[in-house]
Amino acid sequence: MKYTDSYIKLANFGRELLEKKSLSEGLPHIARYAKELIDARRCSIYMYDRENDELWTTLADGIEKIVIPSNKGIVGNTIREEKPLIVNDAYSHPNFHSGIDEESGYVTVNLITAPIFNSTRDVIGVLQLINKNGGFDDEDVKFMVFFAHYVSGFLELISKYQRAEKK
Amino acid sequence: MKKFDQIAEFGQKLMTLKNTEHALELISDEAKSLVHADRCSIFIVDKEDTMLWTKLSDGIGRIVISLDSGIVGDTYTKKEPQIVNNPYEDKRFLQSIDKKSGYKTENMITVPIFDSKRNVMGIIQLLNKSRFDFDIEDLEMLTFFANYVSGSLELAILKEN
Repeated sequence: MKYTDSYIKLANFGRELLEKKSLSEGLPHIARYAKELIDARRCSIYMYDRENDELWTTLADGIEKIVIPSNKGIVGNTIREEKPLIVNDAYSHPNFHSGIDEESGYVTVNLITAPIFNSTRDVIGVLQLINKNGGFDDEDVKFMVFFAHYVSGFLELISKYQRAEKK
Repeated sequence: MKKFDQIAEFGQKLMTLKNTEHALELISDEAKSLVHADRCSIFIVDKEDTMLWTKLSDGIGRIVISLDSGIVGDTYTKKEPQIVNNPYEDKRFLQSIDKKSGYKTENMITVPIFDSKRNVMGIIQLLNKSRFDFDIEDLEMLTFFANYVSGSLELAILKEN
């Protein structure tokens, strides 16, 4: 089990995470740990806005929002199929959306995604990791599923907060 | 709104506890406070998937039951929360536990705790809401709460095994 040590690290991560009071503080923290634990170069967390049927994510600084349609790319597939996906050759995948690479200048080689569910089993977001040496495997999927579940309570609570604040 | 502040504070406290037993106690106290119930038991499915046990229930020590017995067992089997506001008229209700403890169950709510693979790893059971019956709002709150604690509980159990 290559992830045995990671589960131990998760307890510390969880402690730090629950001190965050907003998504803009919490999301970069989750992304940093996900990258480190799964050993990938980049991480994006897309939050799903069901009302407007769109996905948004924040840049590394946690402030600026990018909005994309929820049917785009592998992340869109993850929302529709409600299950994790591995794509180890992104540019040969028919659904890969290269628009973000074109904008950022960063080249995606391989990627893995996992849906994040809330307590009533609706998808509230997608965790995506990009570029791991040698590609992603089943162990990574298992850990992603665990990790997505682990952070889901925090994300659901904060989302409820922020919705209540807007009202 | 106040409840969410309360849960955030609880979450931080939960994360500082190293020991599963202490975590279960804290979870149980928080669950009682959220829905104004008198007692709480948290049942955990054992490693071999054959029994449900509690580390500690309010006032009664350890309970071990089979996966299909009582309303808790039914929650496990159906993977769905149960509200029972008239337990003594419910065929599933295990009167023997009340007899043993001398505590009378007036009403009950149970919610499954799912692990990341969507298996039921435990059940939160609350007894005797003060003055009122358990209702759909309690159910929604506890469904949220069960998911909120499930990640730390899964991690704690993984680490113990």
